[in-house]
Amino acid sequence: MPASSEVAIVLPEGVALHARPAGLFVRRAMTFTSRITVVKGEREADAKSILGVLGLGALGGTSLVLRAEGNDADEALAALAELVPTLA
Amino acid sequence: MVGIVLVSHSAALADGLAEIVGQVAGDEVRIETAGGSSDSRLGTSGDRVEQALARADTGDGVVVLADLGSSILVVRHVLDYLGVNGRIRLVDAPMVEGAIAAAVVASSGASVADVALAAESARDARKF
Repeated sequence: MPASSEVAIVLPEGVALHARPAGLFVRRAMTFTSRITVVKGEREADAKSILGVLGLGALGGTSLVLRAEGNDADEALAALAELVPTLA
Repeated sequence: MVGIVLVSHSAALADGLAEIVGQVAGDEVRIETAGGSSDSRLGTSGDRVEQALARADTGDGVVVLADLGSSILVVRHVLDYLGVNGRIRLVDAPMVEGAIAAAVVASSGASVADVALAAESARDARKF
């Protein structure tokens, strides 16, 4: 059965998932085979969909949950959680 | 890697969009533009489209986004004339969102079919 995990993150001040940072985030997500979801409140987006991630409108200070299901779920979440603070 | 061609009546629009798309998708994806008429006014030039397709195609195919009206007709005419057999695809998608979605997926090394699908999925994307 594929692994499923999630991690809560807060976007640092000055890090928003808008154009360029969202592109970097989504491109990293696409390197994993797991299904990865970004949850912001009641909205969810496919982490591999640039328009989905942009549509969340996640600004600095926003709390997000990253959820992954699949064989590389843990690696995917670790990589994305590590990437986010560097996106400013 | 699949290339992207942006076709607009306005060279400024096509070039500006290419700039935004490049920033989001990174500089590995080839994004080429065919903007304006052959005498550099508002319009669409089949020659410019054909040249942009040639620049964008590194062997893995091309996805084309066009603004509206005669841009669409000109691209379809060029593709008919070239007889490209599905390797070069004009997609029915909103141009800004479609180009960004297509280029990001192209940057992962996806196929023409997957890049085209990403562009067309932009029809249903919410901006907020």
